[in-house]
Amino acid sequence: MTTDSDIIRGSGENPQVFTALYDKYARMIYRYAARRAGESAAEDVMAETFLIAFERRDSFDHAWADARPWLFGIATNLLRKHHRTEAKILKVLAKSSGRDAYADSTERIAEQLDAAAATSALAAALRKLSAVDRECILLYAWAELNYEGIAEATKVPIGTVRSRLNRARRILKAAAGSHQNNTEEADHGRAQTTA
Amino acid sequence: MDELKLLREMRSDIPIVKDSVIERGHERLLQRIAPEHKKRNKRRRTKGLRIAMGSLATLALVTALVVGNVVGLAGWRGAASAEAAEALNHAAELTIKTADPVVGPGQYLKIESTNLWPSGAAGASPAGYDGPPSKQWFWLDTEKIATYIPANRQDEWVMVRSGRIPTTFFDAETKDFVQKTQGLQGATPQTWRGKGGAFQDGPSGMPSESDLASLPRNPYLLLNSIYKQSLGKGDSLDSQAMIEIAALLRTGLVPADLRAALYKAAAMIPGVTLVDKQATLDGQVGIAIGRVERNAVRKDIIIDPVTGQLIGERTVTLQADGPIPAGTAGEWTTIRTTVVDSAP
Repeated sequence: MTTDSDIIRGSGENPQVFTALYDKYARMIYRYAARRAGESAAEDVMAETFLIAFERRDSFDHAWADARPWLFGIATNLLRKHHRTEAKILKVLAKSSGRDAYADSTERIAEQLDAAAATSALAAALRKLSAVDRECILLYAWAELNYEGIAEATKVPIGTVRSRLNRARRILKAAAGSHQNNTEEADHGRAQTTA
Repeated sequence: MDELKLLREMRSDIPIVKDSVIERGHERLLQRIAPEHKKRNKRRRTKGLRIAMGSLATLALVTALVVGNVVGLAGWRGAASAEAAEALNHAAELTIKTADPVVGPGQYLKIESTNLWPSGAAGASPAGYDGPPSKQWFWLDTEKIATYIPANRQDEWVMVRSGRIPTTFFDAETKDFVQKTQGLQGATPQTWRGKGGAFQDGPSGMPSESDLASLPRNPYLLLNSIYKQSLGKGDSLDSQAMIEIAALLRTGLVPADLRAALYKAAAMIPGVTLVDKQATLDGQVGIAIGRVERNAVRKDIIIDPVTGQLIGERTVTLQADGPIPAGTAGEWTTIRTTVVDSAP
């Protein structure tokens, strides 16, 4: 089985091999960056991540078979350049519960509106987090890295990851909770058809 | 739902990254790896069969289906009701006799559609940004769209859209709310242009001539190929097949022989019934053939009984939904196809 570590090792001998890593993970990095900073930033972050990764492939720690923490770490650094865009997105999302919704059925619209309200509460909470706590929780929830992966990506001890995640989850829980407590009232007795 | 689940769902609707973006990034990386590298011709991607593999059962089905369109699900699990099948087969006979409009050089195929779409809004949360919306409203919007398709489909298409206009309200309070917040005159009309039907930088939403040409004209093979497309989507295979058929007919681009085959394919879908011999859609009367999904909605196609032409398609809500009464067509599209000498 070829691991990411094998690919990076092989690219020492034959640099072209490195494109296999791109083919494997480009979409994943794009998606993560787009969720955080929008699509135009995502295209840059995705391309740059792999250029930097290629340049620094000698510094890859081969104790890891999986290159994802390393790549997400590079992408996380690059995303810091786009913090204004990210802040703007969160600001818009935080105000989004009054937005119109369009879908192919009222049931879906109601779902969309509920989701918009939950999202707006969460977005408001995400804005309150410090940048490092936000990076940490999003690497966990959106990049699907585990604690060790996040520690590797952000170059901090695992204990720090744990306390950052705990802090972030506490703040998000409070926001989600305040939204959840009142959903009954928000439904206005609409009959929810179950799919 | 806990905060992590909510967070995981947040912004999960990011569109799939375009192949062109992936290609550009790939190209940049290759330039870096080997500066002498020459730009390659675009790789031609062969579209594989895209199927959401939900379960082992689906997997087994797929394996059976990939064998070819010949071995498949069409025909052995029942069919439409006798009445519906008769109406559909009759419409197929009629439609095959109608000549499709011929688009000469310099002319355009003009597809006019009237669309009714559900719409809604939620009030801002009284608890600031951290709470549920104060209230939700639902109403229906209408949009008229005229699409001009050039004789050479690679040339520029033009789409004139009226914008969504709020037209149907189920209570006075909602009408008031919409009037106050956005007015009742609706959005600004827009004209879109795009080579080969690619509007707004997106790929064309219309089936290409080669897509249409490649679909089987044998109803049995056609239904199997539609089932293959439908696997893993929607509520059930049969309801999804009906939705795919309606969506294809709705484009207005389907040639007569394929239209006939689609009607005959619909006649082979279990659960399809004759809903109404005198259904009115946007002022036109036709036969409604439909299929109920989840006891909640019914997908209908409406056919002109004299010509076999498609009048349109609709989705009817079978249960009251908040202010919306049961039996409301909460979404419909009617189409009319003509040939014109110029586009705006």
